[in-house]
Amino acid sequence: MSPGPRTRDLLMGVRFALSGGREGWTRTLLTGVGVGLGVALLLVTTAIPSALAARDARASARSEHTAPTAEQPGRDTLLIGEADTRFRADEVHGRLLKPEGPDAPLPPGLESFPADGEMAVSPSLDALLKSEDGALLRERLDQRITAVIGDEGLIGPGELAYYAGDDRLRQLGGKVPRVTGFDNSAEPEPLDPVLTLLILLVFVALLMPVAVFIATAVRFGGERRDRRLAALRLVGADARSVRRIAAGEAMAGSVFGLVLGAGFFLAVRQSAAGVNLFRLSVFPGDLDPAPWLAVLVALAVPAAAVAVTLFALRGVVIEPLGVVRTARPARRRVVWRLLPPLAGVALLYPMIGQGDEGGEFSQWQVIGGVVLLLIGITALLPWLVEAVVSRLGTGGSVAWQLAVRRLQMSSGAAARLVNGIAVAVAGAIALQMLFAGVEGSYTRNTGADPTRAAIMAMIPSGSDAAGRTEAVARQIDQAEGVTRATALTGTELATTTGDPQRTAMLTIGSCAALREVAVLPSCKDGDTFVLDGGDDPAGAEEIAKPGRKLYAGAVYGDDTAEAVRWMLPADTRRVAARPDPNGEKRSGVLATNGAAPRNLGSSGHASVYIQLDPSVPDAVEHARTAVLKADPAITPFHLQDTEQSGRFVSIRTGLLLGASCVLLLIGASLLVSQLEQLRERKKLLSALVAFGTRRSTLSVSVLWQTAVPIALGLGLAMAVGVGLGVVLLKMVAAPVAVDWTAVASMTGVGAGVVLLVAVLSLPPLLRLMRPEGLRTE
Amino acid sequence: MNPAGPLLAARGLHKTYGHTKALDGAEFSIRPGEVVAVMGPSGSGKSTLLHCLAGIVTPDAGSIDYQGRELSAMNDAERSALRRGEFGFIFQFGQLVPELTCVENVALPLRLNGARRRDAERTALEWMERVEVDDLASKRPGEVSGGQGQRVAVARSLVTGPRVLFADEPTGALDSLNGERVMQLLTDAARSTDAAVVLVTHEARVAAYSDREIVVRDGRCRDMEHAL
Repeated sequence: MSPGPRTRDLLMGVRFALSGGREGWTRTLLTGVGVGLGVALLLVTTAIPSALAARDARASARSEHTAPTAEQPGRDTLLIGEADTRFRADEVHGRLLKPEGPDAPLPPGLESFPADGEMAVSPSLDALLKSEDGALLRERLDQRITAVIGDEGLIGPGELAYYAGDDRLRQLGGKVPRVTGFDNSAEPEPLDPVLTLLILLVFVALLMPVAVFIATAVRFGGERRDRRLAALRLVGADARSVRRIAAGEAMAGSVFGLVLGAGFFLAVRQSAAGVNLFRLSVFPGDLDPAPWLAVLVALAVPAAAVAVTLFALRGVVIEPLGVVRTARPARRRVVWRLLPPLAGVALLYPMIGQGDEGGEFSQWQVIGGVVLLLIGITALLPWLVEAVVSRLGTGGSVAWQLAVRRLQMSSGAAARLVNGIAVAVAGAIALQMLFAGVEGSYTRNTGADPTRAAIMAMIPSGSDAAGRTEAVARQIDQAEGVTRATALTGTELATTTGDPQRTAMLTIGSCAALREVAVLPSCKDGDTFVLDGGDDPAGAEEIAKPGRKLYAGAVYGDDTAEAVRWMLPADTRRVAARPDPNGEKRSGVLATNGAAPRNLGSSGHASVYIQLDPSVPDAVEHARTAVLKADPAITPFHLQDTEQSGRFVSIRTGLLLGASCVLLLIGASLLVSQLEQLRERKKLLSALVAFGTRRSTLSVSVLWQTAVPIALGLGLAMAVGVGLGVVLLKMVAAPVAVDWTAVASMTGVGAGVVLLVAVLSLPPLLRLMRPEGLRTE
Repeated sequence: MNPAGPLLAARGLHKTYGHTKALDGAEFSIRPGEVVAVMGPSGSGKSTLLHCLAGIVTPDAGSIDYQGRELSAMNDAERSALRRGEFGFIFQFGQLVPELTCVENVALPLRLNGARRRDAERTALEWMERVEVDDLASKRPGEVSGGQGQRVAVARSLVTGPRVLFADEPTGALDSLNGERVMQLLTDAARSTDAAVVLVTHEARVAAYSDREIVVRDGRCRDMEHAL
């Protein structure tokens, strides 16, 4: 059975796309590469959730957080101690292991337990430790490397991780987890509505420019196609028939793009292992798009290609003698172009203020509203470019005249060139405003003062408090770049033991150390003080009476040692508390070492505040190493004056990651699009050069042709971006403020990409101006 | 310089594209005010000869002398300046800038030479009047017929008062009536300004407008005047 006329026309279009010699192939290739880049980015974006889920699953599979535990050592028990560290800005995942029986659970990625003094490391950590750059870290992790952790034990290929065998864990008794397996099934907290909104917006703002770009790519080579269609009209094809042929051609190009896109995606997926963006790395196997999303992309892209082609052809009259006689197209009207952004605002408006009450936003309403607002840019920009360039004078240089006339004649093509970047910039501005507006809600002032102590080393309870803390502090104090290491130990005070109703805190240290927590007018060893103005004064007011007999240490009787009797000296003075370097105003009693109760056992807790000399390079690394050397079970905390929600930071990182990819894609697409337009004018450019036009004149003209629409596009993007940002801020009931630095930087990045593309397109432009372009044979 | 001598002369020109010899020892000369038709079959090297003579393409070997100046010794900027000031061009296709109006197209070479826009367009209109297309001044190339477009191109090629006019198949895309009209205007205008015309064509009726014919075959030139 022969195909019907419609199918026949579509197939003829497909044939045109695939045949037609070098010319036809170049056009199909350009469309294919353009669509392919977009498809690849869509697939990568749809694969990100699964990649993050896979990272979480890998982290859970090796976690001891909710793992089954045992009280007593057994054949299947493993002592596991947390020994995470940092090296410069990188986190290093570390665990100390001591198997207690032959069936002890082996962490994923290990084939056997490292013996005491040995360690298994991830490939990235192995490379770092072997490099000159990692010499400082090697001092800290000086165990013998005997094995490499397999992929199943890592959350990403670039992760720095190690497992070290350490027999000292036995001495810590019940102070480290004794596990019989690995698991972390703790449910993560649900996202609050503002974070959900941010995630939705990040996806919309990143995917919209990709969609716009794909729509642009399927129009590559439009002028030549129109001429070919005119030739078909000459031999008898009717107007409907040529539209179907064009649709077939676009479909073939987009299907080719789908194939290329799948190839690009596989290439990206394959090379993902070697990429470490924003300290995130992903195993190729984890980067899998959800099947339904992949199918959606495969169906939507060709359908969109056909729709865009037919839409683009609606204003073109293809006649047997060509399309050139339709020189002056009808003026664009602004009225209907305002409808999408207005509809977007109408969708978003009802949600204003909902974030304030912890209410939920309708996800589809948010997506619809933002998409419509951003689509508004693509609708308004051609009108804006046309309206402005039609008013531009052609006085001035020849380059300017050529550029303005070109823009006046084909303002639509110029607007298409910058649509993608304008949408991306508008989305980024709105998101930046929202991020800045809600940042305060996700940022906490810790009260810590990093200038007094950059690191607080927490010595785990169970260590012998007496003398041990001072020894650790002295050891750390010797490290390069450490200005001061101040040790403070602490324990409980109570009037009774067993089940005391009220307790107070006893802080012990040298006079210098105690001055970190109180304002001491005078102090000598043997002095004691009661703190006034602490954060939790209730216990101290009731218990800390000078001359009173108290119990110190294991007041709850839950430790191996017993609480010791201690009398608060009668000459104890009252002093004002001051925030410690961690920002906490302590309450209770302060005792210098000479006045402190003896034989407190291991019930106390201790910390060492480490002050660093900022002028010493890598001082923090030396300090971390000193801490680990002093005791691997010590956890160093880095004191920061502010702290941001991890999820908020992750979303922001995701935005940066995605925005980088989108900008790269848009840059590539702009370049392809620019080259395509230049290629169309090869003969004319050569002719102009032949009669003596300076190449610089033509180059500057091309730059003007890019600069004018991009200036208009970015202007519109700023307006829409700020407008959308205001609406979003009102939605989450955050104070409305325009972060002009962010607006300027986003706009600057957009302009920078375009400038870069313009500069990159100059060498091909110069090549196209060669006289060879005049040759016809 | 000998005023009676050739205005432009080429000796022993060689030019190869890939493995194809476009010119293989071609010789050529033209005197002021002379119209020389360069004829030959497709692919014989006619256009390459014209491009070499005009300094658009540099030959692989040989010399081109324009009023005592060796073209191959000039750099790209000097050759561009020469083409802007001393030479004029007409091609078969793709020569008018589609987005400029016809008068802007004609004025373009003057503007490239630094003329003010108003002055350039006034001179351009005078030339458009001479070739009878002044009524098309504000139209764009896409809005005029092929013959009208070629006459606009003739006006543009002459607007700077060139000493040599290079015309590569100027009537190739026109019907015979329009072709003859264009040739008539072209040669009349050139003669009135004493410009030499190098006319590449494969049509005998176009060549009939010339004073002398040269046939290019396999990259070599044969002067038909001397051959007779």
